[in-house]
Amino acid sequence: MPRGAEIALQCLRAEGVELAFGYPGGAIMPLYDGLRTSGIRHVLTRHEQGAVFAAEGHARATGKVGVAIATSGPGATNLVTGIADAKMDSVPLVCITGQVRSSLIGSDAFQETDVFGMTLSLTKWNRLVRTIDEIPPAIAEAFHWARSGRPGPVVVDIATDALKASMEFAGPVKFHPHPKPADVHGDSTFGETLIALLETAKRPVALVGAGAKLSGAIADLRRLLDHLQIPTFATVHGLGAVPSGTPYYLGMVGMHGTRAANLALDETDLLLVFGARLDDRVTGDPSRFAPHARIVHFEIDPAQLDRVRSCELAVIGDLAETIPSFYSEVRRISLPDWSAWRTIACGEERAEQDPRGLAAPAIRFLDELFRRLPEESVVVADVGQHQMWAAQRYRASSPRGFITSGGLGAMGFALPAAIGVQLGKPDATVLCISGDGGFQLNLQELATVRRLGTPIKIVIIDNKYLGMVRQWQQLFYGRNYAETDMSDNPDFVEIARAYRINGRRLDADAMGEANFAVTSQALDSFLTSPEPELLTFECHPEANVFPMVPAGARLSEMVFED
Amino acid sequence: MMQAFHIHYRNTQGTLMRILNAASRRGIDMSYVQATPNEHAHVATLLLDVNPRQTGQLCRDWHAIVDVVKVRASAIAADMAKPGEWSTPHPPATVSASGSAARSAMA
Repeated sequence: MPRGAEIALQCLRAEGVELAFGYPGGAIMPLYDGLRTSGIRHVLTRHEQGAVFAAEGHARATGKVGVAIATSGPGATNLVTGIADAKMDSVPLVCITGQVRSSLIGSDAFQETDVFGMTLSLTKWNRLVRTIDEIPPAIAEAFHWARSGRPGPVVVDIATDALKASMEFAGPVKFHPHPKPADVHGDSTFGETLIALLETAKRPVALVGAGAKLSGAIADLRRLLDHLQIPTFATVHGLGAVPSGTPYYLGMVGMHGTRAANLALDETDLLLVFGARLDDRVTGDPSRFAPHARIVHFEIDPAQLDRVRSCELAVIGDLAETIPSFYSEVRRISLPDWSAWRTIACGEERAEQDPRGLAAPAIRFLDELFRRLPEESVVVADVGQHQMWAAQRYRASSPRGFITSGGLGAMGFALPAAIGVQLGKPDATVLCISGDGGFQLNLQELATVRRLGTPIKIVIIDNKYLGMVRQWQQLFYGRNYAETDMSDNPDFVEIARAYRINGRRLDADAMGEANFAVTSQALDSFLTSPEPELLTFECHPEANVFPMVPAGARLSEMVFED
Repeated sequence: MMQAFHIHYRNTQGTLMRILNAASRRGIDMSYVQATPNEHAHVATLLLDVNPRQTGQLCRDWHAIVDVVKVRASAIAADMAKPGEWSTPHPPATVSASGSAARSAMA
């Protein structure tokens, strides 16, 4: 008779799992004991947070469910940041944790934590499995909820004696959800209402978020937007949904969005939102967000509606269904002439300016890197100033071409996530961009990179500060740079070499005309190397990200320089 | 304003905690909570001091919970507003926490 661990692994295989990231320990040892013959490839990271971010990266790049495995107690607590990150950014993720013996649960046993209680508010669904017979239905249900509706993280916490026990096993089971009466309704006749709103709109715009990508509705969305020809912009997770060369596309919106996007959003009288939560980084001061607009919100998750502003019309459902439905309605009418509005919103006067000031060399460096990236590359950004520069400058050619921790803003995300991305997209160039602060939160994963030999290209924008916090201290706290100084950073090139990874260094001078030919060669060789590579760029310590909408300000109140 | 909510749910692991958490994460005091079996499901009744925006958010959050079946708001029933026996200090202030019984209880 198979043991619980073998049954769990068979159930994972039945859900299509081919790859898992994890870190072993006492309570999860029975599962690890069966891994070698399970048909599941396991990647050993050097920290559980590395495992969960790698699983997230894999899920974000491929659309598959990411799987992370950890032991009880500290193993599970180290997963928590990644679980929260997956919740915020709607990433399908299954975490399997070992738990102490069922007879010891609740006794504060060695390495016992209340994983179930701890992850209750961070997951879509979780389950404490105490007996072997609970394993197959728990895993089937976990994958169902991770994938369905608005995707998200789930946790299956399995007592170690359940993994060790044996039972007759007829095979993995299917989960059949109970039908749920829809007592939060969208407007099923939304087409008529929406057409009426469109026909009276003078300055309509569209905002694209991650939901459009997650639903697989990109082609439908592009068809709709090409028909409407209204000024369109994206959240950080919506980047790549609309090709950057599209004439009506204005780039990223929000705190560090483009001038054109933020002004159009401030001036619009009809805002069509496609799969975005409208969080505070997008809205600025909620009470002054899109003050003239009526809002139409296309959203799969009713819980995301009306969080900061009430909408005029909620279109609840999978965007893969609601967008084509809207398109078929809108094709039948004659749209108003919005060309004058389009000329204002998308005109030259609002176009991006060349980077100026102390940030210019770093931005030019990123531009040169991005210009060299092949089609279908994936840029994985950490959190901070470099993230916003990358979001502003990178022209992702595919919907899953720009990956970052957006909602939670978890520093340390990029390096382990890039590992998961590269394993999911082995033929793509994967460029991991981090800051000196974020890189040091998970730099131990260089060992994972080296072991796998994944040819990830790691860039560190090193300003020897926690740059984004320092920027806020400069602008809003009277230059009191409290505990953000990192001038005693280690030598990252030497660190890379210690992990047997090639490292090199560039600075602002390298971007000058005199040195650019050499720099250009260095960038080419960095990106085309078949090996993992690390490159640091020495950035001015007081370089800032602009435009910036100060926290609590209206989107039109952008700051453009110090 | 005080509002009563009735959340019907399948009594699976953690569902009641998720229902309560939707209120507690917003710092909303729960002045009355009752959870009882009800036909094929369970129903949690909560009395909360909420504004209209919170009401909408809470109802949507509750509905998003996997095993919540139905969410309904109603007027406050008389027994909800009435202080219960538990409104006295617990344990009663006159009971001493010393002595061998207390020590063995805490061991």
